[in-house]
Amino acid sequence: MAEDIICETTISLHNEFGLHARPAGRIAKAAQQFEANIMIAFNGREVDAKSILDILSLAAPSGSALRIQARGDDARYAVEHLESIFRDNLGEDR
Amino acid sequence: MASKVFKGIPVSAGLAIGRTYFLNREAGTSIVRIYIVPEHVTQEVSRLKQGFNTALEELEKILKKVPVDLKEQAAIIDSHIMILRDKKFQKSACDYVKSRLINAEWALEHAVNDIEKAFSRIEDEYIRSRIQDVRLVAGRVRSKLYGQSKNYDSKPERMILLAHDLSPADTIELKLEKIMAFATATGGKTSHAGIIARSLQIPAIVGAEGLEMIQDDDIVILDGFSGRIIVEPDEKELTHYTDLKQRFSDYYSQIKRNCYLPAETIDGYQMQVLANIELFEEVTAVIDNGGEGIGLYRTEYSFLNRNSWPSEDDLYEEYRDMASIIYPQKVVFRTFDLGADKISPHFGPLDEVNPALGLRAIRFCQQNPGIFRAQIRAILRASTLGNVAIMFPMISGLQELREVKEIYFNVREEMSREGLPFQEEVPFGIMIELPSAVFIADVLAREVDFFSIGTNDLIQYSLGIDRTNRYVSYLYQPLHPAILRSIKYVIDAGHEAGIEVNVCGEVAADPYCIPILMGMQLDSISLNPQAIPGIKRIIRQTTMDECKDLLKQVMHSSQVHQSNRLVRDKIFTRFPEELMFYTSLIEES
Repeated sequence: MAEDIICETTISLHNEFGLHARPAGRIAKAAQQFEANIMIAFNGREVDAKSILDILSLAAPSGSALRIQARGDDARYAVEHLESIFRDNLGEDR
Repeated sequence: MASKVFKGIPVSAGLAIGRTYFLNREAGTSIVRIYIVPEHVTQEVSRLKQGFNTALEELEKILKKVPVDLKEQAAIIDSHIMILRDKKFQKSACDYVKSRLINAEWALEHAVNDIEKAFSRIEDEYIRSRIQDVRLVAGRVRSKLYGQSKNYDSKPERMILLAHDLSPADTIELKLEKIMAFATATGGKTSHAGIIARSLQIPAIVGAEGLEMIQDDDIVILDGFSGRIIVEPDEKELTHYTDLKQRFSDYYSQIKRNCYLPAETIDGYQMQVLANIELFEEVTAVIDNGGEGIGLYRTEYSFLNRNSWPSEDDLYEEYRDMASIIYPQKVVFRTFDLGADKISPHFGPLDEVNPALGLRAIRFCQQNPGIFRAQIRAILRASTLGNVAIMFPMISGLQELREVKEIYFNVREEMSREGLPFQEEVPFGIMIELPSAVFIADVLAREVDFFSIGTNDLIQYSLGIDRTNRYVSYLYQPLHPAILRSIKYVIDAGHEAGIEVNVCGEVAADPYCIPILMGMQLDSISLNPQAIPGIKRIIRQTTMDECKDLLKQVMHSSQVHQSNRLVRDKIFTRFPEELMFYTSLIEES
């Protein structure tokens, strides 16, 4: 059995109001497109990036550093894609 | 047999007599808890999954039906869909069926409780309160488990709809041609349900605890004036209310027919009657009720439920549409009055001991200049398409006013440099709602184009009482000599400086207070659209002479009880018929 591909990165949260319902929904939706198992870690807790409720429970405020880790065949694409969403300030930037 | 009465908060006037239907009854009732045998696990799990799927399909259908102008509702429904789709949530519920050998409803409750526990540790109050969304979603799933379909539309007659709460999704689904009134067990004066009811002009009551006890198909009287719901009324009550309903409908069609006539007294004094609104959708109610423009657009309401801050373009689009629909009549945009009881989800509540005296309204805007400037730009950009005025809340002194003006003129210069067009002469006004502003009204009047006296806050800050606090609300006295002198002083100071003075606030919609305001020779009043036809009618039946006379008597009174009695006696003898259908801020003596 081939080794799982693991890919990870750390991003900082720059949208104005932190990980609230709408950005959390956006991340979960994006993560769900990938096969890989994706986790988001913040403040010593690690949650499933495909679950809006999990992401909300992180309660990450603006300015937080989040670690994203993906494990699976499309891990690299998943991390890159999520990174680009965070870089766009979760679509809230105008 | 004595009939049962439930009491709630009336949010939309009128009377309805009919049979009831309880929407999503299961959502708030106790959950059936049953242990199951291992052979039934597969069946129970698939019932649970089916419940999730049916609820999901239903929400997706609703989302498609959401009109484009209700973007916030769409966003809420969308986040509910995400919660329903949350694999972990569904899996956790299914796992409980397997591991505990319990029925689907009980397992769902366990899964919700787990999430609640996780959320309860969160410090961010806004995120913590999102557990409400999870509960609403779980309620929808549970109603699918019981297999209730919303079948009130198959009933031959129009029903009185009862519910624990009406979510935005529920209100979009309402079959309006089948509903004559509604009541909810939860909610307060400003709930969304009330705004919907008023715009549909059906009677409604919110916050009526214990509604669950009413059976489907019971006959009830729903009294949208007093907030009472009378279950299985007796012959006498039925006769009384049928008669009252007829009289109200006669009265109402009469005042509606005449609502476009100007509010001119018998002796020819004319008062401009404008509307207070909170949401864009209410603009139709302004036009329907004979409003002569919008005197107070409370701009913060349109995004209080939203998760993201609106951009300048979002605001511009809303303001542009508002300005052009109401044109040639005017619209006064009151800049964001956030803080105190109006908290945007983005900022969450601040850590303040006393928010009413804290960072709110103009203070909040000055400390968040990005937001403030974006709103000013949006209002100015909309000014080319209509008759637009701008107004700033909670001004406490000259220094503060000059700072706000500096920002305002700075934004205008910036727009000129960018070549963005706006009307040069957009009237610039302020709200007088703090006692400090009252006493320097003569100074402030030289700096602005108009005043609007916000009586709700002025009474609260002058008398030092929070009227939603039931221990002290009896002290909320619009006819307190201090309040009347304040209002009179501001009006006189404004007129001395040659500027217009408006009163917005509940006293403007109060049939007992209106003759006194008339006597002070106000230029305009601004009130909720539904109250306009009645107030216009009262104005048309008075004379300026008698208003001035009443004002004089009341100004001489040094006791509020005496003033109240004076006004009640006077108005009651002049307008006995009207007052049956009004509630007043003036206490009964």
